[in-house]
Amino acid sequence: MDKPVTAANQLDPVTFEVLRNAFVNIVDQMAEQVRRTCYSFVVYNRDFSNALCDAEGNTVAQGNQDLAAHVGTLHYTCKAVIEEFGADIHPGDVFLINDPYVGGTHFSDTRVLLPIFVDGRLIAWSQANGHWADMGGSVPGSFDVTAKDMFKEGIRVPPVRIWRKGEYCYDVARLIAKNTRDPDAIIGDMDAQTQAARIAERELKRLCDKYGVGTIETTFAAVQDYVERAVRLRLAELPDGSWETVDFVDQDPSKAEGLIPIHVKMTIAGDAIEFDLTGSHPTIGSIYNSAFGGTFAAIVSGMKTFFPDVPLNAGLYRTVTVTVPDDTIVSARWPVAVTGFVMCFEKIMNAIFELFSRIMPERAMACAFNIEYLQTGGYDARGAGRPYFMLYDWLAGGWGGRNGRDGLGVTASCFGVGLMIQPVEGQERLCPVRTDRLQITTDSAGPGKWRGGVGLDKAGTILDVENCVFSYFCDRERSVVWGIEGGLPGAPHGLWLEPEGEPARFLGAVFSDVPVGKGARFWRGTSGGGGYGDPLERDPERVKEDVVDDYVSLERARKDYGVVLEVVDEDLAEYRVDEAATKRERAHIAAARAGWLDEDPEQIAARYRAGELDLHDVVRRHGVICDWGTGELLANTTRDFRAQMKARCLPSWN
Amino acid sequence: MSKVRVAVDIGGTFTDICILDEATNTLRVQKVPSTRDPIDAALEGIAKAGVNLADITLFSHGTTVATNALIQRNLPHAAVVCTEGFRDVIEIGNSTKADLWDAYQDNPPPYIRRRDRLTIRERTSAAGVVERSIDEAEARELAAKLRKRGYRAVAICFMNAFANGENERALKAVLEAELPGVAVTTSSEVLPEIFEHERFSTTVVNAVLQPVVGDYARRLQDRLAAGGYDSDVLLLHSGGGVMTPKSTDRQAARLASSGIAAGAIANRYIGQLCGYPNVIGFDMGGTSTDVSLAWQGELLTTRDWYIEYGHPICFPSIDIKTIGAGGGSIAWIDEAGSLRNGPQSAGSDPGPACYGRGGEEPANTDANLVLGRLGAGLAGGDLGLDVARARAAIDMRVARPLGMNVEAAAQAILRVANANMADAVRLVSIMRGYDPRDFALVAFGGAGALHGAAIAADLAIPKVIVPPHPGVTSAMGCLLVDIRHDLLSTYLVDSAVADAADIEREFRVLEDEARERLAHEGVAEASMVLTRSIDMRYGGQWRSLTVPVLRPFTNVAAAVEDFGAAHQREYNYRRNGAVVEIFRLNLTAIGVTPKAEFARHAPGGAMPAPRSTRSVTFDEGIQETPIFWREDLPAGVAFAGPAVVEQFDATTLVPPGARAEVDAWLNIVITV
Repeated sequence: MDKPVTAANQLDPVTFEVLRNAFVNIVDQMAEQVRRTCYSFVVYNRDFSNALCDAEGNTVAQGNQDLAAHVGTLHYTCKAVIEEFGADIHPGDVFLINDPYVGGTHFSDTRVLLPIFVDGRLIAWSQANGHWADMGGSVPGSFDVTAKDMFKEGIRVPPVRIWRKGEYCYDVARLIAKNTRDPDAIIGDMDAQTQAARIAERELKRLCDKYGVGTIETTFAAVQDYVERAVRLRLAELPDGSWETVDFVDQDPSKAEGLIPIHVKMTIAGDAIEFDLTGSHPTIGSIYNSAFGGTFAAIVSGMKTFFPDVPLNAGLYRTVTVTVPDDTIVSARWPVAVTGFVMCFEKIMNAIFELFSRIMPERAMACAFNIEYLQTGGYDARGAGRPYFMLYDWLAGGWGGRNGRDGLGVTASCFGVGLMIQPVEGQERLCPVRTDRLQITTDSAGPGKWRGGVGLDKAGTILDVENCVFSYFCDRERSVVWGIEGGLPGAPHGLWLEPEGEPARFLGAVFSDVPVGKGARFWRGTSGGGGYGDPLERDPERVKEDVVDDYVSLERARKDYGVVLEVVDEDLAEYRVDEAATKRERAHIAAARAGWLDEDPEQIAARYRAGELDLHDVVRRHGVICDWGTGELLANTTRDFRAQMKARCLPSWN
Repeated sequence: MSKVRVAVDIGGTFTDICILDEATNTLRVQKVPSTRDPIDAALEGIAKAGVNLADITLFSHGTTVATNALIQRNLPHAAVVCTEGFRDVIEIGNSTKADLWDAYQDNPPPYIRRRDRLTIRERTSAAGVVERSIDEAEARELAAKLRKRGYRAVAICFMNAFANGENERALKAVLEAELPGVAVTTSSEVLPEIFEHERFSTTVVNAVLQPVVGDYARRLQDRLAAGGYDSDVLLLHSGGGVMTPKSTDRQAARLASSGIAAGAIANRYIGQLCGYPNVIGFDMGGTSTDVSLAWQGELLTTRDWYIEYGHPICFPSIDIKTIGAGGGSIAWIDEAGSLRNGPQSAGSDPGPACYGRGGEEPANTDANLVLGRLGAGLAGGDLGLDVARARAAIDMRVARPLGMNVEAAAQAILRVANANMADAVRLVSIMRGYDPRDFALVAFGGAGALHGAAIAADLAIPKVIVPPHPGVTSAMGCLLVDIRHDLLSTYLVDSAVADAADIEREFRVLEDEARERLAHEGVAEASMVLTRSIDMRYGGQWRSLTVPVLRPFTNVAAAVEDFGAAHQREYNYRRNGAVVEIFRLNLTAIGVTPKAEFARHAPGGAMPAPRSTRSVTFDEGIQETPIFWREDLPAGVAFAGPAVVEQFDATTLVPPGARAEVDAWLNIVITV
């Protein structure tokens, strides 16, 4: 069956193109299988990815619908399995791994790997990766934001075998499943992923029968070369040089207030690109650290956003060099907690958006909102059985304003655009929590000549529960979503809780195990995207249309955009731009705004506490960050936030 | 003149008219250019075919009117009223995008803008308990505002209305009283199904299309009636059946896929006729290819479809996979040197290079022409094809960059195109647990018969069926359908505690409604066929599978066993002993209409001599190939490849090594 092929460059163009598509088709078939048969609702909502790797573990094809945060990590886990088992890999074996310290992301992302043998020789691997709903650890869902090391996080699975030469290793599978809160679902997902990996095996063998195994292996190499060539050609067209920026995680909860910097320096030289993250903060005392795998994923995902049509495989990864010293927040090692790697992931990705915006202005984009994830767990006291329930809820938000158009509204976070939000009706049927509103937040979008996309506001009431707790996994309460080219920030994240008969209190964007009882009301929102360009240059007619649709309020049309509108008929939502007043208002803002960013932050915080300034005034006009509950100034945080805001605004405001 | 049945399939470029003579059971086709008002072309084509409207006994119709109205946002001024706090459900969607990586690609905006999405205070719990009723005064205030704004259609979409539509009905009553002439629809009557985005979206699509489709159906009916046609117009819908204009109020959104359903129906029908209950439909046109699949005589259906990404229409629909590859797909070399095919298309203007209308990029049609697989005249010679231009385009854009000669480049183009299309067929067949070797491929559309044999060979599909009129097979599908309604009821219960008697009662409720709908459309009791199915899933799983069940329903365990078997077939495994959850009860209500019967031809004609021969390049090499004219081929003849069969609307390629025969219905059946 083996057809002779002498060298990669002798592969005929038809066979190459046909097989290149066939490999992607195999990965698509795996995805379809996983999504149709998974148990984890997180997987169902698209937190998964699949890959076909060559015999050395290099990725040949990864699905285009895969989650961004898994991109560029599947080859590391494949290599980790190969390294662990070496010659002890046999037909009929299936392996499992979730270890973030050898190239994975976090414990929840559990990968099933199947070695594919043809004529007794290992030629490839198929890999199906899914986010399991629970991995054990101290809290339901395994996201304990107070964890500082892995021992509170969940079960670590180094490369292990779950099938040995066609025999199911029931004991190993059970050992893993029984360490979680929902063993049946874990076994179900393991089955679903294994079947997906088998589909790839079947399909690849079909291709080997048809084209010969030699041709297949040659094409494995050729498709990686092809992607590398495509990326290098594009890099070569970009100017050579170095660009750098800094983005921040909100805080180290175990230390005094202050933003946690992640530095990104990008250097393009000819057809190569380097990312140097030196200068990033040391690891912090929460789960918001990233090991190298997650960091690498962020870098290649950031790049892929600017070359969206380039297929995903190891050829792309070969064009990138990453430099980062050990033990920073973006290069954590065992046993530092890394379940919240995505907080670093999104900062790196947005930093790369900003850097590429400078050299590819036709695809420029300001900062996107940050992923957020509310976990509610307790006993459902509505009926007799009092079952334990877990409600994991995440929202969509706004992406940054773009060059020539507004940002994407209510879109999943850049961590994984395919991640669907859940239907409220499904949640209400399963859990004793009622949603009172889920709607677009007026004024959530960062103002700009092209504003950010809009964010969401969700509020609910706790019904009959016992022993119920909240944990919140979020960021950008302080490192607020930023604009570029003179565009303004979005809005701070954070959750408010109003227990029955008590005043509302602000719990912020990161907390764990907060008790909540029957009748408690709560709400939180997502930011819109940051603005692109000077908001005073936005066409007043566009501002008016935004007011008609309630994306922007009358008040903020004036304050953020300097556009003064007259109400013609409220019932008909008809407004008219007052041209003269708009001209005056814009002149006033243009003259004063640089000064607003230098006003004494203590004074601004005091006026916020007194109700003279609102949240948007404080952030967008003054660049000041407070504890949004008490109104107390966060001086260190404000210092760094203001410096970055000035750098992103002042040069563009004339 | 004898009585005829007429089916009209209106496409973007051409309007196809299929005429079945009831006395002789023979089929005629007429093709005319589509017109701005699609009804003009339909009537013009009927007249051109010499058919008197008074002689038509049954007029059925697939239309893109609804699809185009959605895509062009050419919609009536419409509003949606939602539960306070939930006006943005149709804008939020599920928060994903069609292309995950291209941050400069936007989803299409909702069909109703935010300014036209209003709210009212009301709430029903997940269990269906009304926690807050509509306030009469607030409802009247809202009505006044809606009136002032002059909406033509209003959708009412409340949270948990699938469990109890009382509040929706209450508001509807007020609005109907206060806003005479405005079409008011509620989510609980359109799609009483859990999950707000899917239900709201379907209801909104229905609301905005109702006036569009209603107006259209009325105008069509009036113009036909003026000419003497005295029955109902039958409109083809997504479920593979037809409805009368009377049903468009609740089901207008089902017409959004009216334009592509006909091909799938024709596929299934041709398969049945020739004794192949398992068929894959391969309908390849100029810019796209529609793939459908029938298993054991039933077309696969889905509830997961849309015209534009992010705006689902959840009525059951024939599952059709459309890929951006057709005769006009352009071959190109990408920056890293790989030979690609599509998705860009030359369309009909300028069209492939060989059309000589200024197209300079080589399309699949150019490659077929250069290789001699396609003759130099299309559509019966109306349009001459320019071989020299085709050669030049392939030479410049593909052959030179790859260092090949023009013939080798043309072959390369077609092999890539065929492999891409075979991959698409793989996704609808192998992926769902169907083995292509168990199927026949029905190849039609303008280009299907040219490529069908190659696709089949790639997939190891043993037979290719080319119907007598490949270019108008879709229109023929319109002649083959019954009136059909799909009803459903969300029914969530663990199968271990499910009560068969209660499920039976629930089915009876659906049946009563189904009979009422069919009776409303004039279907006699004897012509009603009601079939039941249940959607089930393993407890904790997120996708369900549909399992047919008998009437009366008495045995839950048997249904659970059938579910396990279906899961094994579709997903390769089953979990015996795991919890199985019942999710939904479905009822399909058919009103059987008199069906077209195609003439059967006795075999015995002699194999004609070829009209000519020409040199054709196949993968096996260049061969002097006989060219037959389709109308010369009588039933019963058989011939070996290589051969080319030409006719007005298509060209059939029989490659070397394949055998072809003409069956009693004049299909060419190729054994690959």
